[in-house]
Amino acid sequence: MTNANGLPKLAAVLGIAVFAILPTAGLPAFYESFFYLVFFWVSLSTSWALLSGFAGYFSLGHAAFFGVGMYTTATLTTKFEVPFLATIPAAAALAALLGIGIGAVVFRVRRLRGELFALLTLAVTFVIATIILNTPIDGGAGVFMISVPMPAIMSSQTGTIYVLGFAMCVLTLAIAWWVAHSRLGMGLFAIHDDEDVAEAKGVPTFRYKIVAFALSAGIAGAVGGIHAMYVGFLTVGGTFELTVPLYVVLMSVLGGSRHWFGPAVGATVITALLYAFISGGEAMIGRALVGAILIIAILWLPDGVVPAVQKWLRRQRVAGAGASATAMPAELVPVELAPTKPVGQRNILEARTVTKRFGGLQALDGVDLDVREGEILGLVGPNGSGKTTLINVISGHFPLTSGTIAVDGVQIGHLPAHEIAGRGVARTYQIPRPFANMTVLDNVTLAATFGGPARPAAEMRDEAVHWIGFTGLAGKEAALPAELNLHERKFLELARALAARPKLLLLDEVLSGLNPAEIDNAIRLVRAIRAQGATIVFVEHLMRAVVELSDRVAVLNEGKLFALGAPRDVMRDPRVISIYLGKAYAA
Amino acid sequence: MIDRMSAWPRRRVLAGMVGATAALGAPAILRAAPSGKPVRVGGTLSLTGFLAQTAVIHKIAAEIMVEEINGRNGFLGRPVEYVLLDDQSKPEVARSLYEKLITVDKVDLIQGPYATAPILAAMGVAQRYGKVIIQSSMGIPKMQTYDMAFPATPFGPEPQKTYPNVILDAMASLPTPPKTIVILTSKFPSAQFMAQGMREESGKRGVNVVLYLEYESGNRDFGAIAARVKEANADFLWVGSLGLESNQLLEALRKLDYTPKNSFHLYPAPGPLALSPDGKNALCSTFLEPAEPFMSRPGVARQAAAYKERATKANLPYAIIDAQAAGMISEWQILEAGVNGAKSLEDKAIAAFLKKNTVDTIYGTLRFDGLYNHGNAEQLIKQVQGGEWKVVWPTKYAAPGVKLIGS
Repeated sequence: MTNANGLPKLAAVLGIAVFAILPTAGLPAFYESFFYLVFFWVSLSTSWALLSGFAGYFSLGHAAFFGVGMYTTATLTTKFEVPFLATIPAAAALAALLGIGIGAVVFRVRRLRGELFALLTLAVTFVIATIILNTPIDGGAGVFMISVPMPAIMSSQTGTIYVLGFAMCVLTLAIAWWVAHSRLGMGLFAIHDDEDVAEAKGVPTFRYKIVAFALSAGIAGAVGGIHAMYVGFLTVGGTFELTVPLYVVLMSVLGGSRHWFGPAVGATVITALLYAFISGGEAMIGRALVGAILIIAILWLPDGVVPAVQKWLRRQRVAGAGASATAMPAELVPVELAPTKPVGQRNILEARTVTKRFGGLQALDGVDLDVREGEILGLVGPNGSGKTTLINVISGHFPLTSGTIAVDGVQIGHLPAHEIAGRGVARTYQIPRPFANMTVLDNVTLAATFGGPARPAAEMRDEAVHWIGFTGLAGKEAALPAELNLHERKFLELARALAARPKLLLLDEVLSGLNPAEIDNAIRLVRAIRAQGATIVFVEHLMRAVVELSDRVAVLNEGKLFALGAPRDVMRDPRVISIYLGKAYAA
Repeated sequence: MIDRMSAWPRRRVLAGMVGATAALGAPAILRAAPSGKPVRVGGTLSLTGFLAQTAVIHKIAAEIMVEEINGRNGFLGRPVEYVLLDDQSKPEVARSLYEKLITVDKVDLIQGPYATAPILAAMGVAQRYGKVIIQSSMGIPKMQTYDMAFPATPFGPEPQKTYPNVILDAMASLPTPPKTIVILTSKFPSAQFMAQGMREESGKRGVNVVLYLEYESGNRDFGAIAARVKEANADFLWVGSLGLESNQLLEALRKLDYTPKNSFHLYPAPGPLALSPDGKNALCSTFLEPAEPFMSRPGVARQAAAYKERATKANLPYAIIDAQAAGMISEWQILEAGVNGAKSLEDKAIAAFLKKNTVDTIYGTLRFDGLYNHGNAEQLIKQVQGGEWKVVWPTKYAAPGVKLIGS
């Protein structure tokens, strides 16, 4: 096992060593140039993937950051005689600052995701190109860098460019590897799948996106700085052309944009293919063939080459291990009940005159509600009464219009969702919203990592395994959410919430859609959760469960707290019956 | 002295004509067919990518010339093989492919690519490996800083100074010479370079520049620009245009019910402008047209016919030989003359020969002993007359009966 794990590391070290000494091997200069271009595209496509592949913010504006880097180096070397190498950090910094600046504005607007973000980044490219074209930076004449001295790192110019491109490539891949295996990467992958849920699970989405954007743009800027010297003559049209982001996207998608090494594979394959058909007689046919290969590859391998290979290897391992390794269906009775702790007198949640308006719609209208430590509070009410909205404002998904919310004595009403999660508030969703591209284990580990107290990674993984077992999902750790049935996805929601070790757990219709046996199982599970010491607010329509589980029941109607008390008292209240069933029944 | 000077070129021309007649008129069996190991001449063209439409013209012209040269004696009796690669309209690819041609394929000689950026990328490689490079489409001669790089098109070393004066001379010959000028230009390096020269030289000659505007290369909406041109209402409109920009500008002017009094277009798409009603009497830069006196130059009629046949077969929209195809023909003529003159495939020997001698090309006799290895400037002016391009200036290049038409 150790040997198998060490093999990729050994291959990486050997690969780096071989490529590092290549310029001393006396190969024709063309190979140095060719490999430089491979390194160039690997770095550029990997840097794109840091934001667009990992976090899912699909950008068509990578040429903007790359171009800023190119023109930074060109301007500093030709107009201010700054040594070439000294311009590279400046190119990276300027491009990163541009990325941070754009992100600081764009990432605050929730609707600027998906295609709008792609179009916006494309527009940024045009704006930057226009500025450079219409100022002395270029002015339309282009920048000719022939007089800029190349540092003598190697004996030849191509050797020096090769070494710089290689160093940049290694650095980029190292950054990508580190991000993918870090807390930052885990957060970015969650943002990719469901940003709102990621925020609710404690991922500081805004900060992480800014960091990813800065890294992505900064690397592109540095790559551009080196490439300016390689090209030698810069024009705005050539620098900011649309083919740069299109190639980068194509390379990343082909290799697998969610994997740190995917874009490198895609970039290598596409660059090699483009050079495989360079003869004048076959140029057009060659390009068409390359296009056809890429279309077929993307159709057959929609997640990219690297994830496809990983999936195949996993299947091979499972097949090799035999049928014993096949995951069994989840057990329906997962837990044994511990004695229930008495409800405390201290309030975990204190909501005061909580109001939420959506334009002219008053969803919550001055709700006052206390939830006691260790209590299960059932939250009921007709459709549209404001139950889920209350869960959403407590968890920070929606900002408060007015009023205050305190958890354990700390005001959380105006905190971002990830900070509220960090203060011990976890929630589930009525319709399960797992991170679709993460395994069950990763889903739960993420919740433990961002929602709970800081612990070593291995401990958090152990904790995730514990909660997976607790919710009856043992054996499903490696499964993707799409492979689970509704019952299991609901329990995955619970496992994620529990892994954060919440003080306050908000359950939103966790029983809806389950069959009677599954409901009984779920009720036992909720009791077991409470037995662990959690305080629970649960929204439910199933009155049997409400009565069985709740210590108290709060009834919302038209955004107001309508009734509050012991379950049986509240359910017998004619006013409550009236709003549920109509006046005839109440009478 | 004067007699001796005039007699020498006459003798040379006569000798050349006799030689050419002998070579072309003699039965093929009497000509020495090239044999032995081919001389490999490497080069790239932008056969794919955004420059592909123009590069295919160069490809056809190069193929005609390689066949023509092999139909003679090849290079030093050896057949010539053109190793053509596709630089995909990208300078970085052009650079790497010239490195491939020189360091991997080990071609004997190289030819330049098309367009300024790939040429500059290739020139750097040629310089590092001491190769002669001949190019035909770099409109900014001062960028050609490598001493073994040679221009195949007679821009002259300072076209930003010389060509505006050719244009202004032509305008001055009109019955009512323009007193005001509007200069528009694409922000394309070579067009902008010429526009700035035009502005400077116009000022020096007392032609008032009432409007100078630059627009982004690739612009398609000329409405606002046309309004300003109409408002300026100058006697002469000079446009540093590329491709269809001229058609689009003239169409935008027509929509404003405005026809410029005289208009000049730097690098337009020749076919569409000539065939458009808006292009009537439009002026344009050229170095050669398929008419007299150019067709009387040795080989031009044959090259023009071959080009027309192949360009038609390749479905090119404008299958008539012009300065683009002629540039590539000139490149091969210069290389052939260099090899034959130096009697060597050594780049240094070829460069030395070219610097000291003239070469007869499709553009006439070129020399390379001036600044940036340029010789005389030979830019001409053509005009759309009756839906065809006619060279109108300098008058010695105008066909009989063809005159510059003013407003």
